[in-house]
Amino acid sequence: MSTRDLVLTALFAAIIVALGLLPPITLGFIPVPITAQSLGVMMAGVVLGARRGAIAVLIVLALVAAGQPVLSGGRGGLAIFASPSAGFLIGWIFAAFVTGYLSERLVNHQQSGLVQGVSFFLAAVIGCIAVLYAFGITYLATAGGMGFQKAFVGSMAFIPGDVIKAFVAALLGRAVMVGYPLLPARA
Amino acid sequence: MQSLYVEGNSAMHRLSPRVKLLSLAIFSVVLFISTDIALLSIAMLLAAVVYGIVGLPLRDALRRLRPVFLTIAVVAFFNLIFNPWHDAVVTLLRLTTLMLLAAAVTATTTITQFIDEVTALARPLERTGWVQPDDIGLSLGLVLRFVPEVIDRYQAIREAHRARGLKVRPTTVLAPLIILTLRDADNIAAAIDARRIRRHVS
Repeated sequence: MSTRDLVLTALFAAIIVALGLLPPITLGFIPVPITAQSLGVMMAGVVLGARRGAIAVLIVLALVAAGQPVLSGGRGGLAIFASPSAGFLIGWIFAAFVTGYLSERLVNHQQSGLVQGVSFFLAAVIGCIAVLYAFGITYLATAGGMGFQKAFVGSMAFIPGDVIKAFVAALLGRAVMVGYPLLPARA
Repeated sequence: MQSLYVEGNSAMHRLSPRVKLLSLAIFSVVLFISTDIALLSIAMLLAAVVYGIVGLPLRDALRRLRPVFLTIAVVAFFNLIFNPWHDAVVTLLRLTTLMLLAAAVTATTTITQFIDEVTALARPLERTGWVQPDDIGLSLGLVLRFVPEVIDRYQAIREAHRARGLKVRPTTVLAPLIILTLRDADNIAAAIDARRIRRHVS
């Protein structure tokens, strides 16, 4: 890994941490404020691509394990991983990876803005909803002892919010691609 | 941002970080194998004692556990309604025990000790070329160094919105935040390389 990539992942990890410390942002079109931290995970994939995005998330989780209160609401420490919802945290790594992988493959600079936006949205939905929930629900069903069906139904309540976040992540992914392109990853 | 480490000189503080982290890993496996309520209850009481000797005031000790315990309690509550009560109690005891032990390890291990252990753990992977163990500490340090900077920048962008009478929207705030932050990467990387901090990079 080049020093530049190392710094990029660390800076993005710092952005994800900062998004957890800042007060939730209100979206224009719905009254509910969103916690921006999971949006940060989607953006890690969309902006940095598969490998660097996953490492940025991994760094955040390493800080959690090292006892730093870096998750939203000042949560942190190894105890977080004893929570029945810990699967969603571990899943972040794979979610960022898949989102980044798809972003690298689907998006390029020759496409129109609309195509880029839709591709980023698809990447975020597949990576940060389908893949993430597969991890989260499996852990909730087994370690949390809920059983798959109930864990699935219980998690569905969070899908609408995440779809909105995927939409925001797609807009941001395109904005960053125009302003400071990092995809496709430089060697 | 204050670390969850607690100053002290309890038995847990004096135990080597490697022993603590290894035993936590072993306990988490053992806890998931066991389904005996009596055994798990004893384990939970012992874990509570271990967390108790760390030396946190009771109120702080409980406040730290609240977010995790809430999720455990909610899941246990649903389990109690929909699943056999035995399973619900086992899950509750298991996760609570694990939470208490993990919180005790976190409260008695400094970030430096933790990074040293992770670095040592990654040492055998050095030859594969997948990871440079020394980069782990560097990355974590960089994050802690730049979080305040990112927050300052966010405040500045928000002020700029206010000054122009614009509403603060995620898209209009986060895009400049990300671009401005990542644009520093080249300079920071040059600074790191100029000091030869990453010795394995020629």
